[in-house]
Amino acid sequence: MNEAPLLAFENVHKYFGETHVLKGIDLGVDEGELVVVIGPSGSGKSTLLRCANRLEEIQEGEIRLAGTPLTASDADVNRLRQRIGMVFQSFNLFPHKTAAGNVTLAPRKVRGIADEKAEERAETLLERVGLSDQRDSYPAELSGGQQQRVAIARALAMDPDVMLFDEVTSALDPELVGEVLGVMRDLAAEGMTMMVVTHEMGFAREVADRIVLMADGEIVETGEPERFFTDPETERAEQFLSKLL
Amino acid sequence: MSETGTGGPIASDETFRRLGMAAALVVALSVGAFLALLFLSGHVIPGRQLINYGLLAELAQPSSDYYGAYINILQVFLLTAVMSVICGVFVGLGRISKTPLTAGIARLYVEFFRGTPFLFQIMAIYYGVPAFFEPGTFPLTNFTWPAAIVALTLNHAAYSGEALRGGIESLPTGQMEAARSLGMSYVQAMRNVVLPQAWRNAVPAVGNDLIILVKDTSLLSVIAFPELISQFQYTYSQQFEAWAPLVLVGVFYLTITVPLSALVNYAGEVADPSRRAEP
Ligand SMILES: Nc1ncnc2c1ncn2[C@@H]1O[C@H](COP(=O)(O)OP(=O)(O)O)[C@@H](O)[C@H]1O
Ligand SMILES: [Mg+2]
Repeated sequence: MNEAPLLAFENVHKYFGETHVLKGIDLGVDEGELVVVIGPSGSGKSTLLRCANRLEEIQEGEIRLAGTPLTASDADVNRLRQRIGMVFQSFNLFPHKTAAGNVTLAPRKVRGIADEKAEERAETLLERVGLSDQRDSYPAELSGGQQQRVAIARALAMDPDVMLFDEVTSALDPELVGEVLGVMRDLAAEGMTMMVVTHEMGFAREVADRIVLMADGEIVETGEPERFFTDPETERAEQFLSKLL
Repeated sequence: MSETGTGGPIASDETFRRLGMAAALVVALSVGAFLALLFLSGHVIPGRQLINYGLLAELAQPSSDYYGAYINILQVFLLTAVMSVICGVFVGLGRISKTPLTAGIARLYVEFFRGTPFLFQIMAIYYGVPAFFEPGTFPLTNFTWPAAIVALTLNHAAYSGEALRGGIESLPTGQMEAARSLGMSYVQAMRNVVLPQAWRNAVPAVGNDLIILVKDTSLLSVIAFPELISQFQYTYSQQFEAWAPLVLVGVFYLTITVPLSALVNYAGEVADPSRRAEP
């Protein structure tokens, strides 16, 4: 199959003031594909995801979702964002809402879905992330791993076409990492299109369809996980991998 | 053991506690002595009664003008409290706006209304606005009430606005981003995610400002608004009695500010996001 990718970065440049943070990124994520982005801190991984969700504006190039340009000034940002779910390192759950309240808020307010239907859907989603018994808990009453799973359910509630994950396990105690990765693994198995920034190399190797290595705002190497981890093509990748061991 | 650190305590905790208690006692005793002297002066210094109890009883009668003045400040307080908090939301939103024009105008507004005395503002409105009209053509016959309400609202909206801005800015930016990433518009995110939390942070500061608002009604005396200080001045000019009307006025203010302060403390506790109540 040679269809156009679902999410496509075309020569994307991003500056923060004078700093050139993304230097011409070309990357396509196909439907159902799970792309893991790795790279040293400060290489622009978060910025790349944030641009895809238009939390940052790009200065040059184009990002397309199913062919539709994201960055055109007349693009309906709010509509596009509903199709791109995002999960953050710091969870960013709404502390004044229960787990179910977090999940139902956007469907109710943005989509105008009736409370009852939204509640039902939230129940299904919370069950899917293994939290059906926590629906009435506030974020402060949940562990980090539970909060992050609620955040994933919250993003799923908008039925996104793509999910972006920005180091979603980095703020977690080691013993809680597994439960979040487990949920992501399930999602991948169900065919969700995912772009995942992570330092969890085990997860990357096992679940990714493709690994993308970034450094200094550029993509240095991409490849299938087995090949990438065992036989990196570039010196940069070799260096990066050797530091992990 | 041998070395005495330069950063050592100036007093042990126990000494500090005792000193604090002693200071508090001294203050309490002084105030008590003053009040005793004030209220019982007739007994302490024969022939020198500071409070004319006969007059006090007269002024405290239900038909007294002091009640009218009291009702007036209650009304003007309740009205301007609501209006200044509502306007304050817009001032606060303007202050955090990413649009330079909006943010700049909101900034100027706050700088002006916090940077000039309230007395100046009320005079600018009460005397300054009618000056725009040809003599005798100003349409409002009783401009005192509108001037009072507008001046208090404009002034306190600046303070509520700053309180709310503080509440918004103390939230992690991730809250807005998470809401926007779900497809909410700026207004939806503000309304459903940011403001409910910002409010809770702003409650103590807004409450504090409302207490000041009660007391600021006293400054309306300069435009002859029928409030308690004007009443005091009238009584004093007629009777040359200071303490009887002063006691009454003081008690009247406290009947508003003490319950209000309790309400603010309660609201602050309920709203405190760190002690999130169970559902
Ligand atoms: N809001 C910002 N303002 C200025 N510079 C930023 C901002 N966000 C990120 N940067 C810079 O952009 C570069 C890439 O950051 P980031 O995308 O967070 O990297 P990564 O996620 O790979 O660690 C870094 O040099 C960082 O300092
Ligand atoms: Mg990052």
